[in-house]
Amino acid sequence: MHGVGPVATAPVLVARGLTKRFPGVLALDDVGFAIRPGEIVALLGQNGAGKSTLIQIFAGAHPAGGYDGDLTLGGEPFRPSSVAEAEAAGVALVPQEVNVVPDLTIAENIALNDEPTRWGFIDIGERIRRAKAALADFGLDLDPALPMSALDLATQQLVVIARALAKRARLLILDEPTAALTENESRRLFERMRALKAKGVAIIFVSHRLGEVFAICDRIVVMRDGRIRGHHGIADISRRGVVDEMVGATGADEDTAPAGDSATGAVALELRNFNVFDSGGRRRVESLDLILRRGEVVGLFGLLGAGCIEAALAAYGAWPGRHEGAVLIDGKAATIAAPSEAVPLGLGLMAQDRRDCLIGDQSIADNIGIASLASISRLGILDIGAGRRRARDIAASIAIKTASIDAEVRTLSGGNQQKVQIARWLAASTRILIMIDPTRGVDVGARREIKRLWSELAARGHAILIASTDAEELVDACDRVVVMGHGRRVGELAARDLTEQKLLRMATDG
Amino acid sequence: MAEQNVTVALDPAEPAPPSRGFLRTLAGASALRNSMLLLVLAGVWLFFYFATNGTFLTQRNLVLLALQTSIVSLAAISAVMLIVTRNFDLSVGSAVALVGVVLALLTVKHDVDPALGVLAAIAAGIAMGAWQGFWVTRIGVSSFIVTLAGMLYFRGISMIATNGATVAPLPRSLTGLATGFLPPAFSIGAILVATLGYASLRVAEIRRAHGLGILGRMPPAIFRAVAPAVLAALAAAWIASWQGIPYLVVLVAMCTFAAEFLMRRTRFGAQLYAIGGNPEAARLSGINLTRAIFWNFVIAGLGYGITGVALTARVSGAIGGSAGLFLELDAIAAAIIGGTSLSGGRGRVLGALVGALLMGSLNNGMSLMNVPTFYQDTARGIVLLLAVAIDQLSRRQSVRR
Repeated sequence: MHGVGPVATAPVLVARGLTKRFPGVLALDDVGFAIRPGEIVALLGQNGAGKSTLIQIFAGAHPAGGYDGDLTLGGEPFRPSSVAEAEAAGVALVPQEVNVVPDLTIAENIALNDEPTRWGFIDIGERIRRAKAALADFGLDLDPALPMSALDLATQQLVVIARALAKRARLLILDEPTAALTENESRRLFERMRALKAKGVAIIFVSHRLGEVFAICDRIVVMRDGRIRGHHGIADISRRGVVDEMVGATGADEDTAPAGDSATGAVALELRNFNVFDSGGRRRVESLDLILRRGEVVGLFGLLGAGCIEAALAAYGAWPGRHEGAVLIDGKAATIAAPSEAVPLGLGLMAQDRRDCLIGDQSIADNIGIASLASISRLGILDIGAGRRRARDIAASIAIKTASIDAEVRTLSGGNQQKVQIARWLAASTRILIMIDPTRGVDVGARREIKRLWSELAARGHAILIASTDAEELVDACDRVVVMGHGRRVGELAARDLTEQKLLRMATDG
Repeated sequence: MAEQNVTVALDPAEPAPPSRGFLRTLAGASALRNSMLLLVLAGVWLFFYFATNGTFLTQRNLVLLALQTSIVSLAAISAVMLIVTRNFDLSVGSAVALVGVVLALLTVKHDVDPALGVLAAIAAGIAMGAWQGFWVTRIGVSSFIVTLAGMLYFRGISMIATNGATVAPLPRSLTGLATGFLPPAFSIGAILVATLGYASLRVAEIRRAHGLGILGRMPPAIFRAVAPAVLAALAAAWIASWQGIPYLVVLVAMCTFAAEFLMRRTRFGAQLYAIGGNPEAARLSGINLTRAIFWNFVIAGLGYGITGVALTARVSGAIGGSAGLFLELDAIAAAIIGGTSLSGGRGRVLGALVGALLMGSLNNGMSLMNVPTFYQDTARGIVLLLAVAIDQLSRRQSVRR
């Protein structure tokens, strides 16, 4: 598995004794790391393990001097004090969240902060040429003059990666690059990664999708609690072994699939002949029929643009366009034009992007209380003590890890933020939970815990609908999965038949 | 589970980090920023005390200062409520002038009963607020534009209706509202009752927080919560012992209490903070943004009404062209100095009141020192800049800690 060439060369980046403290937390504890040209190294670990801190130090996001230990790049001491400095030295980080300026063109986004100039003025022709070259180099057939907002999320992500590649990076750091990509797009990204590898570029690949890691990487580095817990050649370890090392347990129990006798519950949510249109009038979902029973976890799977996310949002009244057809809640017809009409009917939504659902600057208690202010107030006057007590009890019951419910939500890890959302809907006595890509950007350990929480909620009689573009998150969590393709229902799989391969096959056939 | 608890490791003996929402920590979470502002105010007062040979801190001057500050304070209350939801109101000054015109025309020109006139004027204010709320929430024009337009046409209508002339004098029963005093004995009694009520509420809250295990030791918390109120009450009682409390100040106190209650103790207030903190999150949580913001503007309209009546009574007539000029800017400045965040989700009415008092003190003190008005404006501008800068710096420091 190890190529002869890369192993023989000197490392491009070496880190020794990296230690970084945040108030009250030791984020990195004496971390050593090395990567050679032409190597692809997976950096794995749960949220809070120290991965982000480590790659941010490499990329100059934590200025040199704020941590102990030293770095060398190509044998020279490397002390970046800013992202720009690290990029100039050949280290480029593509962050997990897609950060683009939607109103600027693709070319302008690619050139951002590095505009080609002639006599102090921006050289527009050169900018287009460079953008074209960057896109072509990455196999993207796009017009650089298009505005970024005309692209879907996945294509935007590819443009961001193309931008980083255009900077002639020696070390490229990809933080969960495939989270928003379809299978096909991921494959394209992997092809490009292999081409870069052949050119001698070193790549650090952070991902929660182990299948991808084993497909593309040469080595795996596992972190836990701010330390490196294992270095492995890809051939020397199994998926199971990696997960155990991340979680810090040996022989950890496999996820238990939820119990199967789910069809017995009463129908909680039903969509009949449900059609969804976007604001331009284009049909995004066509004649969808869907039944969700109490005590059931049902997946709604499709590739990006297949209509499953649109259908879920429309059922909640959060889709910006029009929808037609019947929505029945507990067998009664309902018209839901806005979330404020959905919540009183017992619906709750967890959106694709946590930042759309949480108020980062406000406390856990506030975020839990926000959807159920009515039940802690009388005649519009809040019972603040009751609200706090309820928030504290619910937070404890689903094990939100925090010292205080007064902590601001943005200080929590991704998995804990996801739990705050669940707590919010528990506080609101919500019976029907609609989740959209709920474990996106959540690490393996927290995924397990959250999935366990879903089956607990289902067992207590909640109905859960998970609209997802990620087959992996549905497979061991759902009682059944409805598969969509091109806006139509193309099939359904029961829990016993559920595999990633079958889901993808069905979705791509449709 | 406990050993994984590394993301947030706070020493329980430390004060809780400031959370900005409606369930904020009961005892003194915002103590740092409030005390900062109070310290600046104390410094300014001390300076003027020496610079004016003691005139500044006489009972007589402090009553005057309270009266001078009252109009800006009233306007600042609704400014805070709107800025918390990321909305601006540039129309306050003109709207207040128009309310005054309604009041003056009815009572002076048409001999309408003063009480009815006041009701009509307040109704006019509410209608103006609802009108602007309609454009913001139903049509979707940004509040900046809607109220910028309002600033122009409310002023214009005031001038048209009065033909640019002053409508005066108001009936004595109305001017009495602005010039009258609650007698000293009554005033001190009222201060006593208010202080006792406030203290017992806070003590009950702290008891409950203690019972929930949210708070550690009780006596220091009670002291922190009650001591400033007792100090303020003593000062107020001393000032009131001269002539009593002006009705206008009583009005400001009542409006402040009502607004604080609305913002911090009701469902509506919690919704406003949530909307300002993250509008999308508020919407997806089932909050009806359109309705909440519409009512936000209606309440601002009630503010126009009350402020307009108070101002008109104070100057004993309506001056369409100049009444309330730049009031919106003073109100926004007071809110910002008082800690309201322009990016929404954070702000307190009490803070804005202290902000208004700070600006008012500068005016009053410099006038006593015979500083020309040009210099006064310059000084106030610099104070606004410094106040916000100090706030930013201290907040950055508290984040670092």
